[in-house]
Amino acid sequence: MRTFILRRLLFAIPTLIGISIITFVIVRLAPGDPIRLFTFGSRATNEDIEALRHLYGLDQPLPIQYLDWMWKLVHLDFGRSFIYNQDAAALFMQYVPNTLQLAIVALALQLVIGVPLGVIAALKRGTWVDGFVRVFGVAGHAVPAFWLGLVLILFFAVQLRWLPSQGMLTIGKDNWDLLDRFKHMLLPAIVLSLTGIANYSRLLRTETLEVLSQDFVRTAHAKGLHERTVMFVHALRNALIPVVTALGGILAGLIGGALVIEQVFSWPGIGRFTFAAAIAKDYPVIQAGVMISGVLLVISYILRDIAYAVVDPRIGVK
Amino acid sequence: MSHPRTGRALISALAATMLVATACTGGTPTSSGAPTSSAAASATEAPQQGGRVIEATISDIATMQPVLVNDTASGRATGLIYDTLIQQDAKTGEVKPRLATYTTSSDGLTYTFEINAKANWSDGKPIIAQDWLSAVTAVGKSAKTVRKSTFQDIVGFNEFCAPAGAQCKATASTISGITIDTANPKKFSVKMTKVSCPAILDLGGATASPMPTHVFGKYLTATSKAEDFDNAVENTAPTVFSGPFTFKEWRKGDQVIFGKNASYWQGAPNVDEYVYKVVANTTAITNGLKTGEITFGSIIAKDLADMQTVDSVKITKYQSLGYTFIGWNTSSPTATGLADKRVRQALAYGIDMDAVIKAVVFGEATKQVAHHVPVQWAYPSVALEAYKFDKAKAQSLLKDAGWVAGSDGILAKDGKKFNLTISTNSGNTERETLAQVAADQYKALGINAVSKPEAFQGLVTKLTTGDQTLEATIIGWSLGGDPDPYQIWHSSQIPDPSKNVTGFGFTYFKDAAMDKAIEQGRNPTDGNCSTAARKANYETFNKILNENQPYNFGYSNNVLAVSNKSLQNFEPGSFSTLYNVHQWWIKK
Repeated sequence: MRTFILRRLLFAIPTLIGISIITFVIVRLAPGDPIRLFTFGSRATNEDIEALRHLYGLDQPLPIQYLDWMWKLVHLDFGRSFIYNQDAAALFMQYVPNTLQLAIVALALQLVIGVPLGVIAALKRGTWVDGFVRVFGVAGHAVPAFWLGLVLILFFAVQLRWLPSQGMLTIGKDNWDLLDRFKHMLLPAIVLSLTGIANYSRLLRTETLEVLSQDFVRTAHAKGLHERTVMFVHALRNALIPVVTALGGILAGLIGGALVIEQVFSWPGIGRFTFAAAIAKDYPVIQAGVMISGVLLVISYILRDIAYAVVDPRIGVK
Repeated sequence: MSHPRTGRALISALAATMLVATACTGGTPTSSGAPTSSAAASATEAPQQGGRVIEATISDIATMQPVLVNDTASGRATGLIYDTLIQQDAKTGEVKPRLATYTTSSDGLTYTFEINAKANWSDGKPIIAQDWLSAVTAVGKSAKTVRKSTFQDIVGFNEFCAPAGAQCKATASTISGITIDTANPKKFSVKMTKVSCPAILDLGGATASPMPTHVFGKYLTATSKAEDFDNAVENTAPTVFSGPFTFKEWRKGDQVIFGKNASYWQGAPNVDEYVYKVVANTTAITNGLKTGEITFGSIIAKDLADMQTVDSVKITKYQSLGYTFIGWNTSSPTATGLADKRVRQALAYGIDMDAVIKAVVFGEATKQVAHHVPVQWAYPSVALEAYKFDKAKAQSLLKDAGWVAGSDGILAKDGKKFNLTISTNSGNTERETLAQVAADQYKALGINAVSKPEAFQGLVTKLTTGDQTLEATIIGWSLGGDPDPYQIWHSSQIPDPSKNVTGFGFTYFKDAAMDKAIEQGRNPTDGNCSTAARKANYETFNKILNENQPYNFGYSNNVLAVSNKSLQNFEPGSFSTLYNVHQWWIKK
């Protein structure tokens, strides 16, 4: 297992270098000069702008800028934000917990709702329950998240006043007021999890139906095992394998997908923060954000592979 | 000083200029909702103590150091914790004392300030002249400020500031033009190299808010490096305050929390807390105002009708200190017609701006025909051409200029068709609609006009660096406290890539008489900075613009400030919202 992990970590290095090159090039190919942008409208003279460009190394040729960035990166120096004048990585990391908590709750909702829905639909194949889950599976994909978010805000926050319309915590409340946090999280987590619930219910339905038709399930029935044992010990464990496979990518997808949700619900997460940095052409923040997200993504894939091996004994880890 | 409006907050709050006396027209706030009862309550009831004001802002702040501020949100935040020497009347722009009174020498070259005897820092130490000098010193030393040019006319500043370059010499260890009274540590004088009418708002404005020397002094010694000050922790977590509020916590991307400064020299604020709540967009502001999660914020015209149905809020309208316009590239190699004054006048007559205002901003704006807006004292008293919609006149002017419709109905001259691309920043719905409506109306004149949204980031660089691919651009100016239009309209501000000159003169229009009027309004040779003298120059300036139409000056929006009815004494104006924030109170 240790060799496996080490090898995966080693393979991650070229992946991350690739990410760094692509990010660097795309960020700089986008039109506009960051210094001119953030000093636009101020009394900054041409000299001020040139001095700032020099200070941030933007007057150097692009390959030199890239190498300089990489050199600092290996020393864990992500540079300072043009806008905030603070360490870019430290800034970005302040937003990570906010997005993670939303993503984890959404993931939990996906599993807690999506998996049983799929299994029930498979067991009740052909009934109205199955029909409902299948329709839900399509609708969950079709409904745009921003639209649903706005509708939920208008209904539950503006009309009924049951839930807050925005933010992560009521102003004045303690950071550890979990009930208040839960109220704020409910609507965005529901919207964020919707696509996943639809995905999982469809996936589980298909997988469960397939597993239920396998020989070993018939054998288990023939052995006279209780229906519940057949279902949970034999069938479900196998049906869950693709779910675990999808997990690694889904966490990354949730973090990425949170951008729209964070925007609609004014949730202070990495999506909104990185989006704002991209608009402002704050290179150090964008680059730090993409690199840190890249590392998180690589780690989540490694964890997925490990989980995959644990769940499916047929797969060995070498 | 002016700055462009971007729809987000990448704009400067550097404004600061001068007004000696006042002669203001228009701009009186009007309210709807239930302002009468609210105002009456404020006037007659004793303020209640406690509560919290929550202001919605779309952008997070970037810093709490006035010297480094480069965006609107940070400017407002620093305004809560650091008082300025002077302030402008919220409605008229008249300059008034705040932390200090001031006098000007007869030759107009020396300003003498005396800080209020009662004015103390939140830790009890007196606010003294050295604290003001520390702020100017910080500007001189910082590598990240873009304010050095603000103080370039102070005697000895350029010799002091660093690093050495075209402006700064970095040869002196002190600023020779600033003298602190040896007998009175709260009194100081500032000598200027030339008479500069906007200077008073620079010297007494936000950039030069006194800075607690007992906190920042260690970053500003003779041996300190620029990064010592630029990266000081107190820039993001200040500890000592001169304003009505103190800094408590900055939850990044979510909220900035300020507590009341119980020892504020003008009297402790009535409310316990002031919170900047960062929200995603204007829809979130509207929703938050409806639910009561937000105490006040500005909404967009589209949401006004909806907001007027909400009983719990009061709506205050006032004219913004800025305008949205279409800038014509008068030296465009592709839209050559724009070089002709008659064509530009035709483009003014040929668009029904009143109808546009109704369609684009639901009538919540005033048509502009020159640079200054009606709330500024510099707004001309003389009659200007109103450019009322007159299609026939527009067509006649185009014909006089040699543009004749071809068989396809498109105007052409010397075999070249009149194509016109109107660019604007994408994502700004108001401007995108304006570009589309303008293009449609110009098509009716026979001009092959199209609208083209593009990313603001790219547009900014193109505009300021002399990119000739732009033919017409819709953008907006937020004007500063002083009416000096030098940075936008003086010919020195026209970009010239061959000489590496950048600037906001992206219409490439210049006029010697206009230059002279601008210079005399800024640095009068006779030293006369009176409102009357400056206004005469600005009338000349506005008349030239009005006649030559390098912009279609578009319109000046109304600001729609919405507050919860529980908020009392909230009386914002075009020049300031927070001027009386310590007197605001929440009615329970």
